[in-house]
Amino acid sequence: MEEKINKIQADYLSKISQAKILEDLDKIFLALFGKSGELTLLPREFSKLTKEELHKVGPLFNKTKLELDKEIRDKRNEIREDSYKKLESETLILQGVALQGIALENTQAQKRTGHLHPLTQFEKKIADLFCKLGFQQYDGAPHIDTDYNTYEALNIPKDSPARDLQDTLYIDTKNLAPQKDKLLLRGHTSNSEIRIMKEFKPPIRMMLIGRCFRHENLDARHEHTFDQFEIVYIDKGVNMGNLQYLSEYFLKEVFGTEIRARLRTKYYPQVEPGAGIDGLCIFCKGKGCRVCGNVGWLELGGAGMIHPVALLNGGIDTSKYSGLAWGISPERMVMLIEGIEDIRLFRSGDLKFLQKY
Amino acid sequence: MKVSIAWLKELVDLKVSIEELTRLLPLRTIGLKEVTDDFIELDMKGYNRADLLSMRGVAREVSAITDSEVKFTPESQFVWEEKKLPKVKVEIEDNKLCQVYCVAKIEGLKVKSSSKEWVKKLIDSGIRSIDNVTDVTNLIMLEYGQTIHAFDAAKVADETMIVRLAKGGEEFVTLDGKSRKLTKEDLLITDPKGILSLSGIMGGKNSEITGNTNTILLEVAIFDPVSIRKSSQRFSLYSEASKRIQHGLTKANLMQALSAAIKMYEQLGGKLTAITLTGNLEDIPKKIKLTQEKINSLIGVDISPDQVKSSLKKFGFEMSLQEGQSQTWEVTVPYWRLDIAIEEDLIEEVARMYGYEKIPANELKGELPEKVDQTLPNFIYDLKKALADAGLTEVQTYSFYSSKSFSILQPPPSTLIKVANPISSETEYLRNNVWPNLVEVVGRNLRNGFKDIAIFEIGKAYTPAENGLPAEQYRLSLVICNGTENPISEFSVILSAAKNLIKLDPSASPQDDKGADDTRGEPEKRIFHPTRFKNLEYKGKVIGALAEVHPRILNEYRIEKRVAILEISIEPFMS
Repeated sequence: MEEKINKIQADYLSKISQAKILEDLDKIFLALFGKSGELTLLPREFSKLTKEELHKVGPLFNKTKLELDKEIRDKRNEIREDSYKKLESETLILQGVALQGIALENTQAQKRTGHLHPLTQFEKKIADLFCKLGFQQYDGAPHIDTDYNTYEALNIPKDSPARDLQDTLYIDTKNLAPQKDKLLLRGHTSNSEIRIMKEFKPPIRMMLIGRCFRHENLDARHEHTFDQFEIVYIDKGVNMGNLQYLSEYFLKEVFGTEIRARLRTKYYPQVEPGAGIDGLCIFCKGKGCRVCGNVGWLELGGAGMIHPVALLNGGIDTSKYSGLAWGISPERMVMLIEGIEDIRLFRSGDLKFLQKY
Repeated sequence: MKVSIAWLKELVDLKVSIEELTRLLPLRTIGLKEVTDDFIELDMKGYNRADLLSMRGVAREVSAITDSEVKFTPESQFVWEEKKLPKVKVEIEDNKLCQVYCVAKIEGLKVKSSSKEWVKKLIDSGIRSIDNVTDVTNLIMLEYGQTIHAFDAAKVADETMIVRLAKGGEEFVTLDGKSRKLTKEDLLITDPKGILSLSGIMGGKNSEITGNTNTILLEVAIFDPVSIRKSSQRFSLYSEASKRIQHGLTKANLMQALSAAIKMYEQLGGKLTAITLTGNLEDIPKKIKLTQEKINSLIGVDISPDQVKSSLKKFGFEMSLQEGQSQTWEVTVPYWRLDIAIEEDLIEEVARMYGYEKIPANELKGELPEKVDQTLPNFIYDLKKALADAGLTEVQTYSFYSSKSFSILQPPPSTLIKVANPISSETEYLRNNVWPNLVEVVGRNLRNGFKDIAIFEIGKAYTPAENGLPAEQYRLSLVICNGTENPISEFSVILSAAKNLIKLDPSASPQDDKGADDTRGEPEKRIFHPTRFKNLEYKGKVIGALAEVHPRILNEYRIEKRVAILEISIEPFMS
């Protein structure tokens, strides 16, 4: 048996040293460690050995296994490093002029079918929808912002229990330019509100679409990175009836005419009064089913009349103007419409998923 | 807050079924987390309604929204008032952090297990029964929302209670058996010899009620909510007590709770023998001006003055018309509604009693605003569309470096934005390039059997800035892995599909460009192909690059195929 093992080792060491390309090593690896590889099958013969023999053969066998495995790996690296040297002689063929915008013939470009991300498609659709009501997009607020712009200015003071809703990811500012305030990854698009109010005068009709972050462990229903779609509307006489109108307008266009909207009391510190937006369950149409927990309605978004503290911080004259904020989660909407069960798919880069849309 | 249904029925003469109540609560008051035969759990996360952390508060709310009567009346005379009692020794070193501090001494108690009724109430509320003496404190907290703590008097040195801040370096073992290192910001209850309790958060092992306890010192207090919140966060210790203190306590409620607790102990055979009440014990009633005009204009419905009055009265508000004005009230806020501070808060009360679901839709009126520059969002969408039309698939990936890319590419941390409280190593550094995430996406999809991958992402990259907020840049990142030995050559065709949007300078792009951009630094030389790398320029400025990723790097990503990347900033095209 010892002889047999030594022979395998000698044979394969020589084979490995003669290998020229990675595929050779793949074959050698399979011949040794594959399902019916020599080293895989060998231990079956050990039952015939005496105890003393086994004492010798066992360690030898293990040593040989490790050695051959290492030899293969080393040889792989050697072949790789050799191939890397050849890269020096490769050239950069840009078909240069193409950069000026002229496609060349005989390129290797493949015929493929492209896909926009499902969130891009949905967000474009609703942006167009609210554009018809005079809303325009605002992209002037950063993802990394001050605590003041994101929370305090909106009536969400530090150290208040309302902060429990935020689960904020903070930025380590030790190596950054000196900061007057805590920096954080915004937990909502509303950090735009204070900027909009300062930059524009009423009437204001803005849409905010963008990425937000939360200190949240990932699972099928929870994401630390997500999009928000928010509307900010400030004018004379803006009222809760407008919230109902916007909710109906959105639900009818997105889910169909039979999906009614219903407002419900809900607390958000940045609005007063605050409202939850429900839609008639799109699956059972109100009869009650598993998805809506038998209540016939689905929670679809949040809204409310912008808190006077926030309006004042933005320099809005609250004796003349009132405002509303209205928001939904694009991920949640697309999940409902498309029957997607796992929110993590959106940022997985999984082409099987993305190429369905 | 778990609301025991049986207990609720003791407090309200409920005129509707539990089904109707659970339908109404989310519409009028608060969302529900769970409903069982025994309890209704209110979703209190982040909520501002301190009163809903007590059975009496919930009972008042339920009575208002279901038109049912509450069965309790607040006491007007307290048990200690007619007695001449000695004082318990109390020293308060910090009046700001402890506005009100009351201690009652009760003697003659016998510790045993609680009655079945008490145990059921506690279990419905999600709290474990311990013994009759301790259970009283939890039952009182649940009914009144006032936190209350019983110390074994025999274990309090000199029967003297001291309220003070911790000194640096002190340690204390809380009831859960854990030793806590205290900071100078933690508020404590001590006796002359040592620490008894972490104020408002958790008591200590050393003064715990045991089978031998017969005399207790009963503490009710109002501590500073912010101080308690900070201590709670520091210790990651969120108790039922600290939750209620953070939401806010009231003096009227404190007196009710103390009186009720003493009565319960008297029923157990105890006797009140000493009491100390410190601090100003009167709540200052809040008064808010409310106008009919504002109500109607904010809700968008005409609600009659009678309806306004009856709604607010049901919730316990008192109203009086302002002199000489027919439609302006002065509204007095009931002491238990700490969440009500401004006129809009009152309007919400009117609106929820009216029913949000009955508010009719109002079309948006008024002039349309002036046009705002929409170049950036339009450009981004048009570019995505052009690339998708050219056969690419759009992906979106996290704004962070994965730990894998971080270890393979080794970006110097000084060039990155770091998260102070990452969820895991996967969210520790924000990305300063988009393409590494796309290379990972390529690897994942190759392993899923894809052979030809052409993807892009338009997203932000984050870098430190010299002053102000960190810099955020929208980038276009394209990654191709098409199974060929030279995937870079595809970029020309792809970019030509977006030629109206992406107009790179044609400069310095000879057909055969070997070694052209060898000015790049060592990290780039390590990461990218030795010759297939090129800076891309717009109006004479470098705005990005294209390259083949070095196969050695790809090998670390477990990718055996060639992968080409292109990444450019898109904002330069906006100007």
